[in-house]
Amino acid sequence: MTPIEILATVFVVVGTFFGFVATVGIVRLPGLYARLHAASKSDTLGSVLSLAGIALVLGVTTESLKLVFLLVFLFVTSPTAAHAIARAAKEEGIEPIGEDARLGDEEGEP
Amino acid sequence: MSDRDSPTDATADSGRPDGADESQPDAVDGEGSVSRPADERPPYVESTIIMTTVRVIAPFVLTLGLFVMFHGASSAGGGFQGGVIAATTVVMLGFAFGIEPIASRLRNEHLALLVLSGVGTFLVVGLGGYLVGDNFLQVSEYETLFHHGSKYSIELVEVGIGVVVSGVITSLFFLLGTGIDAADAADPDTDSEEDR
Repeated sequence: MTPIEILATVFVVVGTFFGFVATVGIVRLPGLYARLHAASKSDTLGSVLSLAGIALVLGVTTESLKLVFLLVFLFVTSPTAAHAIARAAKEEGIEPIGEDARLGDEEGEP
Repeated sequence: MSDRDSPTDATADSGRPDGADESQPDAVDGEGSVSRPADERPPYVESTIIMTTVRVIAPFVLTLGLFVMFHGASSAGGGFQGGVIAATTVVMLGFAFGIEPIASRLRNEHLALLVLSGVGTFLVVGLGGYLVGDNFLQVSEYETLFHHGSKYSIELVEVGIGVVVSGVITSLFFLLGTGIDAADAADPDTDSEEDR
């Protein structure tokens, strides 16, 4: 294996690990906000790292350019989607679950 | 913000879990709130994050939709997928800037005209097969008229399908979002979002 392929493998493996973390978070954590927290961050990182690994293997080609575009857009849209879901949930008055969990206002005060 | 005095606070404060209820992770408050009537919902407050992202993303999404639409004849892609992606642009604008402001710029007549023009494109290409050949949609006979005729005529059919799909998706979304009678309050000559 060339060093590029080893690096790409590391990227894909780490990305899969973060995808696994996101899945465990969705299954195990209580409530919408905690699950969203786990899913959005880890899943963004997981998919972006996996795509970066594939782009590394493909080298400088049209396909890897498309992958880089995909990567950038995922990096922008995935946190925005999570933000939109959390915001809609807050406007609907959904409460977080857990000790000391509460909804704050704009300044973070309860 | 202006939505703090809305009915959501009453339900939010009364349903706070006290530590004894926490063995049930799925007991989430606010259930059934989706079906509240429109006048009880808190007013829509725009989010800078969502608006900025949609402003940046929307041209690329529309380009991707057209890309997929025009690739239907030669490679992976097609009118249905491309039409959905192109309609997503309008739906995203609705999410970011509020459904009512966007819906007031769309008129039912224009969307119906869009859908009808797509169907008309399909029919023209299809019935033209009778003129140049023997059967409906016999696109191979277009080769005798101009170079790569079959490919371009199939492309035209794909674009027609894409226009139909995007028009239907857009009108369905805004009908679901605003109700039946909200689409007619508009200035008539600004329908620019979906037929670029």
